[in-house]
Amino acid sequence: MVFGLRWAGSGVFLVTEIRVQLHEWLAIVTGTLTPGALLVFVAVLAPDLLAVTVIGALVYSMFLIGQRVLNEAAYIRIDHKLNELYHASPLTPEAYFIGIAGGMLVAYLPPSLVLLVILEILHPLSPFALLVLAACLLAVWAVSATIGYVVSTLFKDMKTIWPYSALLTNLFGILPPVFYPLRLVPLEWRSAVLVLPTSAAAVLVNAAAGLEAITAEEAILAAISLGAEALALFAFGIYWARRTARER
Amino acid sequence: MHGPVSQEALRAEDVRKVYRGRTGPQVEALRGVSLAFRRGERIALLGRNGAGKTTFLRIASTLLIPTSGTIDVFGFDVVEVPEKVRPLIAVVPQEGKPFFHLTPREQVYCYLRARGISKEVAKARTEEALDQMGLQEVADRLSVTLSGGQKQRAMVATVLATEAPLMFLDEPTIGLDPFARRAVWNVLRELTRKGSTVLLTTHYLDEAEALSERLYIMEEGRILFEGTAESAKRQIGGTLRVSIQNGGNHRELFASFGQTVAEGTSLHVITEPERIHEVMDIALREHLSATVGPVSLEEAFLTIVGRSIDEE
Repeated sequence: MVFGLRWAGSGVFLVTEIRVQLHEWLAIVTGTLTPGALLVFVAVLAPDLLAVTVIGALVYSMFLIGQRVLNEAAYIRIDHKLNELYHASPLTPEAYFIGIAGGMLVAYLPPSLVLLVILEILHPLSPFALLVLAACLLAVWAVSATIGYVVSTLFKDMKTIWPYSALLTNLFGILPPVFYPLRLVPLEWRSAVLVLPTSAAAVLVNAAAGLEAITAEEAILAAISLGAEALALFAFGIYWARRTARER
Repeated sequence: MHGPVSQEALRAEDVRKVYRGRTGPQVEALRGVSLAFRRGERIALLGRNGAGKTTFLRIASTLLIPTSGTIDVFGFDVVEVPEKVRPLIAVVPQEGKPFFHLTPREQVYCYLRARGISKEVAKARTEEALDQMGLQEVADRLSVTLSGGQKQRAMVATVLATEAPLMFLDEPTIGLDPFARRAVWNVLRELTRKGSTVLLTTHYLDEAEALSERLYIMEEGRILFEGTAESAKRQIGGTLRVSIQNGGNHRELFASFGQTVAEGTSLHVITEPERIHEVMDIALREHLSATVGPVSLEEAFLTIVGRSIDEE
């Protein structure tokens, strides 16, 4: 038991979720279609930005994996009522949350690894850059999965929930400098976008990979923002999972 | 299976629940429900739609916090120490469905494992539950391809395989054919023989009668009746029902024999065995055909709930 958390059963529930997702293998395979399509556009229109776009695609894909938690958690709660089956059992709410989030991550990660192979071909990363990439992607997943889980608990109808996933993905994945470099953002907006988890991750990885020069202040702001958001949101996700395991 | 501390499976004291709608008026779903039952009992909770059955079940199974009152499960307060209650219970949620992209075999096994049951025991119980629910033939098909009844059986199998000390089943046999319903009844009887306790809600009164040792009838968030099916039937003033075809216009002739209920053109007279001859004589004299049968729990239910509605 760490920090009063009880994880028993989370591994089994995670495996359950992976099994569920693997039966829907087409959804997994098509998970990277959107960033893949963007890569094609960039390859044709601005080939010099291709490596930056691949990093953006990795960040975007990781955010998308987190957002799949939104749809999955909402679906099994609203349509199947399986949350009741699990919440009225020894499986703790935090294990339930981690199970869904982790299951989505493991099931949907392999197609994203194809992007990593493409990146290694286009622009081989140093061990340090790989480490930064891994840390940033993990942080983006933690942020996105938590947002997804929390939003999934707020509504009672699937149709109401659907637009939120698209809205959040575009808000975090397309609008800020995830697929394009920070230098294209006006100076007065840079601090703001460095606070956003997705653009902070993309900027940090681009900088670590030597694809973009940023100031030390910008690096520190992005790193602290991303780290703090990931930790705070994930902790909130656990709190929220416990709170919403029982309706009031 | 965890060893429950108390021999009393559940005790509810003055449980109230008020839903405060964000836009609409507040709804008083439970208005002081008190009930208790022992380990190993099969209890049915009956009531019309919206009577408060599911609300009570959800509170008792730690899924909903009451506005006031207490429920103890095997001596543990469901609000204060839900983590001690949850290992002791299992729930079939109303309208619950299995994972569509798991097979029934995977569904049952994975759930048992998530509850902390060892691989060997989970595997054995999964096969037993699939057998009992008649699901072996479809055990390796994705649930999305199963019929509604098969999906429901997969849900019931998932929960019954836990052999939890207290099981809450919210309309567990809805959509099941008569054979499947009886299969569920048999498993529930077997589980209570082994020591589990069952609290179920149902709209099938024959099911409540066949299965439950005691039943509670709820209406408007209150308990109207507690006792056996037989004692519920005695509440309506007779044990036999005479159904008289085209007797609707002759109600006054039969009023002195007991309760009379008009249904279409027929008249039902609820009376005692010693007065049957008199009722039949009058029916024959009036050239009305009549049949005699035992009073059903449905009639008792309608009478008890109807009386409450009339009083309001």
